Order: sequence, then C-alpha cells, then structure tokens
Amino acid sequence: MTSRLTILKSILWIIVGIWAMVTVARFTHGLGATTNLSDVTPWGLWIGFDVMAGVALAAGGFVLAATVYIFGLERYRPFVRPAILTAFLGYIAVAVGLLYDLGLPWNIWHPMINWQHHSVLFEVAMCVMLYLSVLALEFAPTILENSLFDRPLFRRILAVLKKVTLPLVVAGIILSTLHQSSLGSLFLIAPHRLHPLWYSPIIYLLFFVSAVGLGLMMVTLESLLSGYFFKHKVNTKLLSGLGLAASVVLGIYVAIRVGDMAIRGVLGGAFEASWMSTLFWFELCVCAVIPAILLAIPRIRRSIAGLGLCSGMTVFGMVMYRIDVCIVAFARPEGFSYFPHWTEFAVSLGIVAAAVLVFIFFVERLKVYEHPMDQAEIPTIGPSFDPVTVRSLVPAAVTAPRRYSLLFIVGASLAIAFLPQQAVLGTKPHYTPVAATRTIDGFVIENEKVGEPNTIGFIEDVGAIPAGAMVTPLIIIDGNRDGRLTLFNHQGHEDRLGGEESCASCHHLNMPMDRASSCHECHRDMYEPTLIFNHESHVRGTDGNQGCVKCHDPSSAVKSYETATACRECHAESIMSGPVIADPEDRWNSAVGYMAAMHGLCRQCHINKAEMTPGEFPVSLQDCRACHNANHTVIFSEMIPRVKNSESQ
Amino acid sequence: MEALIEWARGPFFWAALTFMVLGLLRHLAITLWDIFRVLRRAGDKNMPYKQIATNTVKWLFPIDKVGNRFVLSMTSVCFHIAVILVPIFLAGHIALWKRGTSLSWPALPNLASDILTIIAVISAVAIVIQRSMAKASRGLSRFQDYALPLIIAIPFATGFLVMHPQWNPFPFNVMFLLHVVSANVVLILVPLTKISHCVLLPLTQLVSEVAWHFPENAGSKVGVALGKEGEPI
Repeated sequence: MTSRLTILKSILWIIVGIWAMVTVARFTHGLGATTNLSDVTPWGLWIGFDVMAGVALAAGGFVLAATVYIFGLERYRPFVRPAILTAFLGYIAVAVGLLYDLGLPWNIWHPMINWQHHSVLFEVAMCVMLYLSVLALEFAPTILENSLFDRPLFRRILAVLKKVTLPLVVAGIILSTLHQSSLGSLFLIAPHRLHPLWYSPIIYLLFFVSAVGLGLMMVTLESLLSGYFFKHKVNTKLLSGLGLAASVVLGIYVAIRVGDMAIRGVLGGAFEASWMSTLFWFELCVCAVIPAILLAIPRIRRSIAGLGLCSGMTVFGMVMYRIDVCIVAFARPEGFSYFPHWTEFAVSLGIVAAAVLVFIFFVERLKVYEHPMDQAEIPTIGPSFDPVTVRSLVPAAVTAPRRYSLLFIVGASLAIAFLPQQAVLGTKPHYTPVAATRTIDGFVIENEKVGEPNTIGFIEDVGAIPAGAMVTPLIIIDGNRDGRLTLFNHQGHEDRLGGEESCASCHHLNMPMDRASSCHECHRDMYEPTLIFNHESHVRGTDGNQGCVKCHDPSSAVKSYETATACRECHAESIMSGPVIADPEDRWNSAVGYMAAMHGLCRQCHINKAEMTPGEFPVSLQDCRACHNANHTVIFSEMIPRVKNSESQ
Repeated sequence: MEALIEWARGPFFWAALTFMVLGLLRHLAITLWDIFRVLRRAGDKNMPYKQIATNTVKWLFPIDKVGNRFVLSMTSVCFHIAVILVPIFLAGHIALWKRGTSLSWPALPNLASDILTIIAVISAVAIVIQRSMAKASRGLSRFQDYALPLIIAIPFATGFLVMHPQWNPFPFNVMFLLHVVSANVVLILVPLTKISHCVLLPLTQLVSEVAWHFPENAGSKVGVALGKEGEPI
C-alpha cells in the first residue's frame, strides 16, 4: 500500500502541518516576531520565491495554451490541462504567499479601487488578479466535466466556456506577457541597488524570455514527475519537442543577457574574481547555458534522464535567478544581512506542498491527464470501528484521512516546539542592560545667591578651570551608555545631607554583604523592571530540598513569590533606615527600570526639599534642567576621542 | 539542568499540548465523519436516538455493573476521579495557567490534592495487579493495558515529591524535570492510545448502533460475494 504517491503525500502533509502552525504564529504575532524580515529587508524569501519565482514557474500555462491554440500544434494538447492547472494553482500560491508578506493583508484588494497609474506594482497586481480569473475560467471545464456537475445549468456554462476558449487564451497570453515582464520592470526604479551583473535596462525582456523557457521546462518536469508518481508512461517524443523549443528560448535568453551586458560594457565585471561573478556564472550556466546545449542534442532530449536533468536544472536555476535579483544581488546598507528564518522556508514550502496536494487531488478525481489513473489509489467506502488503531484491512477511504490527519498534527506539533518563543508568546520588550556609573574630575561653582543652583561641569582642558571653581569628582550617570548623560555631584550631596550618615537617604537597599550598593546592581535594565531574586542561589544556600520549607510554608497552597516568606525576615540588615523613597515591599521580586528609579529618587528628594524649606532651596530644583544639561552631553561627546586616546597610550 | 527544565515546560509542553488537543479533535472529527458517511448510505435511516442517549449516560456511570467485580470497579472509579481532578484543579497548576494565560478557576485544597495523588498512584498499581491476576482479564489485555496505568502514575508520583520537597530524597531539579517530561509524554500518548476514550466514550453507543445500519441489500451482496446467492446466511 505504501506506494510512491502515499509516501509523497505523507511528506507533503507533514509540511502542511508545519505550515499551518507557522501561519497561526505569523498572523497572531506579526512579521517581526516570526521572520527575519526587517525595514532594511522588507522583500525576503516570500517575495523572491513565492511571488517572483512562483509567477515564472506558472508560465507554462500561457506558453502551452499559445502553442496549441494560437500556433495550432495540436499534438501538444495533452500538456495543456496539466499546464493550466499548474498555472492556476501557481497563481493562487503567489496570492497566498503575498498575503503572508503584506503587513496589512486584508488590504490586498486595494489596487482594484485605488488606481496608481504610475506604479509598476499596480500593473502587476491588476494583471495577476485578471490572469488568475482567466485561469479559473480556463480550468473550469475540467471540473464541470465531472459527473457531479452533470446538470442542465452546468452543461450550459460548460458549453459557453468552451466557446470562449480562444478569447480566454488570447487574454491569458496578453496578461502574462505584461506582468511577467513588469515583474522585472520593478527593478528599473532601483538601478543603483541592484548589482550591475543583474541590473539591465531591458531586465523586463530578460524576465519574459526566461519565463517562457522556464514554462516549457516546468511542464516537462511536471509530466516526468506525474509519470513517476502515478506510474503512467511518459511520452518522450512529445516532450523532446518541448525540449527543443526550450533549448532555443534558453539560448535566446543567454544571448540577450550576455549581449546586453557586452553592449553596455559591464561584461568585464563578470570576469573579476568575486563571489558575485561566481554566482552570476553558476546561475547562468545552471538555468540556461547547460540545459540549452544539452537539449540541442537529440539523444539527450529524447531520454527521460536527459529531460529530467535539464528541466531540473532550469527550474532550480531560474528560481535562483529570481531570488538573486530580489535578495542576493540587491544591495542592503552596510552591516545588515539577511538570511530567511526557518519559518519563512516553512511558509514557502508549505504553500508549494499544499498546491501539490491540490494538484494530486484534481489529477486523481478529474480528467487532467488523458491516462487512466492507478485504480489502487482511488478510494472505496467502508466503515471502521477501531478509531485508534489503523488496520490494514480497512479501505483507503478510511485509512487515508487517518494517516494524513495524524501526519498533519505531527507536523503542527513539531512546528510549535521549534518556533521561537516570541512567535508563540509575542514579542518581548528589548533588554537594555545598565552599566555602572563612572567618575571623572569636574568642577563646582557654588552660587552665593539663594534660589540659584550650583553650577557643575567637566574640566574640558586641564588648567582651564573657571574662576571661583572647586575641583571635585563627579559621577557620570549614563546607564545605557548612549552618551546622553547626567552629571552628579556625589560629594556635594553627601556633604549637604550629613556626611557618611546620610548614605541611607539614597542607598535604600543593599546587596547581601555589601554597603551602599550602586543603583545599577538591582535596577539592571534601563526601562523594564528586572528580576532581582536569585532562586538558584537560595536553593544552594539553604541546604537543597530540606531548605524549601524555610521560605515556602508547606501549608500554603502554591509555592510562589506571593506566598513565600518575606525577604526582610532574613535580610533585615540589607534594608537601610530613613531613605527618601518608601520602604521596600516584603518580598523583593523585581526592581523598576533604571530611569524610573533615578527619576523616582532624585525628583522625589528635590521636591521634598523645595517644599519643606522654600526659602533655602532654589525653586528650579524641581525642574528637569536641575540635573539634565544638554551642554554636558555635547562636551562629553567631544571629550570621548581624547579619553580613548589617553586609554590607548 | 535549568535549560532542560525550561525546554520541557516551554516548547516541549506546548508541542505535547497541541498534539493532544489536535489529536483528540481529529478523533472526534473522523468518528463523526464516519458516522455521517455510514448513515448516508444506510438502508434503514431510522436511529433510536433516545435509547442511544440513555445508554450513553448509563455507560458513562455504569453503577449497575459495579457488583460484577466490585474491588476492581471501585479501584477504577478512584483512579479516574483522581486522574481527572488533580491535574486540572491543583492550585499550583492553576497558578501556572493564570501566569501564562490569565485564566484561572477554583482550586482543590492542597490536602485533597495530596490524598487524590496518593490514590492515583496506588490505584494505578492496583489496577495493573488485578488485571494480571484475573485469567479473563489477562486474555483480553494488550501491552498498553498494563503499561498505561503505570506510565500515568509517574507524573503523579513525581508531582507529589515536587510538592513536598522535604520528603524528596532526590535532587529537586531532577524530580521536577521528570514530572514535566513524564506529564508531557502522557499528553502525547492520549490521542495515540486507548486514553483517547476521554473524548470518544460518549460516541461509542452511537457508533455501535450505526454499525448495524447496512447499505440497502447488503445481505444479498454478501451472499453473492460468498457464492451463496439465495441461501440463508
């Protein structure tokens, strides 16, 4: 029973399961949490592969339709239906892929209403939408021929659709020509961001010609694969005709691409020793040069192996061409790199897997290929009574949903195990660690006038101390080291508040076995509260398992922070008496952000002092500028090179 | 060890929970779909729904069958009550749900949880012993019938030691990891083994009834297939 097709479907269902879970994460927590896309790289794998390459891969539809209906080569008719179906599913995949990439996917219909005549993307959007409708109409007869639709109304629709086949084919060719080329035209607006080996003023022509060649090779590859999986005979004689056509088209593509570069004088760049030139030659050889040469040899294009190799190379190479243009050869600012997150691969692969499953579904149930399908795979109907164990005697209609749904669930569960935490729980705020303060020599000028604050500042140049100033160490408060600092006269505050006795006014809580612990030791993040309780060290310090009851009362329902013994019961010596701010809570779980801590302490004290003794302290003590002085930031930024130099000497 | 615990209670737990929920939904969906399909083809489409409902309730609480093997029945009832109540209504578990999803519900008192946990472990072992002692049960039993009660007992035993570290002779972290991992394994086993009766049991009476609703002329078709056309089967 485990035929090739069953194995293929099993693998596809696992991928679809993974895709489903990533989809949930993508649409609940957004692009930032689930992908490596950023403002610098808004166009990643999804645009490069799903949209750019997806549209090109679906080119077989219009190429084969033109071959049979316009050029009248009737013998290729057996390839038309699978090609149209591939194109139809391919364009649906493009639209679905685009939904993932759009920040506001529910606005995807906007181009239909808001016409931006100057936008290439508008043309692409309209063409793709119209062509998708054309493809649906072109494929509809295959569905309507099924016995399920054997009713007068559907028969009439079928007759009409068959009558308008030719206009539909013509419309399809026009629309495809337009948007296959204008996907290339998109890059004309960024001539300096695309690498010269890929940029060309006629890039639209390259995109179109390569799409035609790729379309022919895609139809070939698909026939070979369906021959392998559905075990029917492959008509190599017909396929060799497609191969010869592809050989010519791919040859033309190489001639245009290289010729254009030679005429514009940029071909020299392809012979420089660089990664980009290597990539250029590799891509060009794989997608066109080698297949074109091989397919020109009759013996190769008449063998299944030869056709398989050439079509595989072209498909791989042309996908690479689109991805190169869109991602690899597209310049990014210095220091920014992009490699897709695995979730991006999962979505791209998942869409393809789903499309292949739908393709198989249609092939099994409708007359897509002219060969009769393997009867063993066509389900028969029967009940089953042991829903847990899949029995081999049970018919396929019962086992298939069981097998594939289980694999889908396995895929979904695997995906959730490997999703990054932010993709499951949502993005967490960024951690901005706080560094210790630094001390530097500065000066203080005491203002004699009551109501004016003292002036403090850096000594910019040794020897240039202002008149009447006193040299004193100043503390630079710059927790996140962004250079926007506050100068703090620690000595002056200590003197004013009463010498060493006054430490407790600010240093309200000490680390164990420490005195006057610095602010940053607990307030460890610039903006967010941080956990300051170290459970592991308490477990070690309180004698392991037996020590649990020292903090967690066995009678309490839950062993949690809220029900634990108060910290002050053991760490009473850490709490300083008489600080400016309120006493700490019973349990010290998290400390507020550094900025909030600084403002909370300094401002509170300044306000208190100004209110308590209005005459003695300056009113401006409550203002921002009492501590924040933009000049200090400017002077400090100018001093940094000097500080660095003196450090290096 | 810390990283392992974080993995087990983070990604591994999410994966196991997802697998259990989706797996049970899958069982439900497939069973309902099969019932629907069989009924659509059935010759006799009249179903005694009222009787099925009564039977379902009767078999969910089979009080009149208890006398059959009283001790085993009582052990089984205790096991079920403990295994269903403790994981859902343990105060510590609810605190975790509240922290993660801000959902919470009333909890069992800790003493009740402790007693039920001990009951779960003892009754699991007792079920396995009684199953292996009686000849009739032995004949009906597969490997999973012996293994599952013991596997289910592991998270309960380890959970009890985690709740009472002062009685735990092993390192706390090891016990905690064992508790989380074994519970995850049980979650994964739910849809893959007979534990899936937790959602399928209410449907068994319906399935048994539907099974007798053959397609029209099924009997004569079987006769044809067996080469005994016209003869009584």
